[in-house]
Amino acid sequence: MASHEKYDEAAIVEQLHDQRTCKAAFGKVIEHYSSQLYWQIRRMVIDHDDANDVLQNTFMKAWTNIDNFRGDAKLSTWLYKIAINESITFVNKKKVMNQLSLDDDESFLVNQLESDVWFDGDQAQINLQKAIASLPEKQRLVFNLRYYDEMKYDQMSEILGTSEGALKASYHHAVKKIEQFLGETE
Amino acid sequence: MTFTSQIGVMKHEDSTILNKYGKNPGFKVPENYFADFNQRMTEMLPDVEITPVDAKPTMWQRLKPLVYMAAMFAGVWCMMSVFSHFSTSSNLQSVRAVAEQLHDDNNLDELIMSGMVSDYDILSYEDSVMMSNEENISDEIEK
Repeated sequence: MASHEKYDEAAIVEQLHDQRTCKAAFGKVIEHYSSQLYWQIRRMVIDHDDANDVLQNTFMKAWTNIDNFRGDAKLSTWLYKIAINESITFVNKKKVMNQLSLDDDESFLVNQLESDVWFDGDQAQINLQKAIASLPEKQRLVFNLRYYDEMKYDQMSEILGTSEGALKASYHHAVKKIEQFLGETE
Repeated sequence: MTFTSQIGVMKHEDSTILNKYGKNPGFKVPENYFADFNQRMTEMLPDVEITPVDAKPTMWQRLKPLVYMAAMFAGVWCMMSVFSHFSTSSNLQSVRAVAEQLHDDNNLDELIMSGMVSDYDILSYEDSVMMSNEENISDEIEK
């Protein structure tokens, strides 16, 4: 079965640029990255159904632009970039649809969390998600990528187009704000 | 604080959150979600046109930048030579025309009144006449 095959990124990238093998190769890309991209998207949009839609859009966008991917950057970096852009666009669109201010992330994301049937966290987890939702968009992204995905700063820097120093400072501020938020909540 | 201890602080700055809340955000997904998603996603991929990376460029594709550059230089050269030709000939023509007009005293007053000839033109003309006269005198003395 395909799922038991070893994932060789260099070989996959080569196959992606061959008309005969590109579709099968992209199938392997989906298989390899769907889970990690899903969780990143889910932490941004909170709701499972929304995360499913955004993940689908991410892969569709990557596939329709696959000819532009020349392997200059890592495939994972490219996919994360698309996923993050799609997530931000989706959240902003949904906020506009719900007639909320684009800055009003906290109440929007908390509402999403409370109405999501695919969330079974306890009160502590709800509080942590509320604290993360209270962060500005960029800090929230940095915190999620670092805290949950343990992504290295150099890869994060490529994805977000920000210097490593700025990302470290951003993470530091995010941690402090979350600790303060949680301290006030408890 | 030493450099090593600073790194230690950076590494463990989230340890309070980590110890208390862990890394499980409390999200879950339907059973077999990822397997189903992978299959569904792969099936819905439309056909796309892929340009082979190692496709050898044709002779024209390789020569195109050189041809464009040569054409650009030729164009610039043509423009400069045309510009230089017209500017030289128009200067000569205008000097000759002014000289002819100034030579005729009947025309001179009319031209001054109508503003077609300025004081500067007359002075320039007189200077050039004086200089050419002086040159003629010195040539005759030498002879």
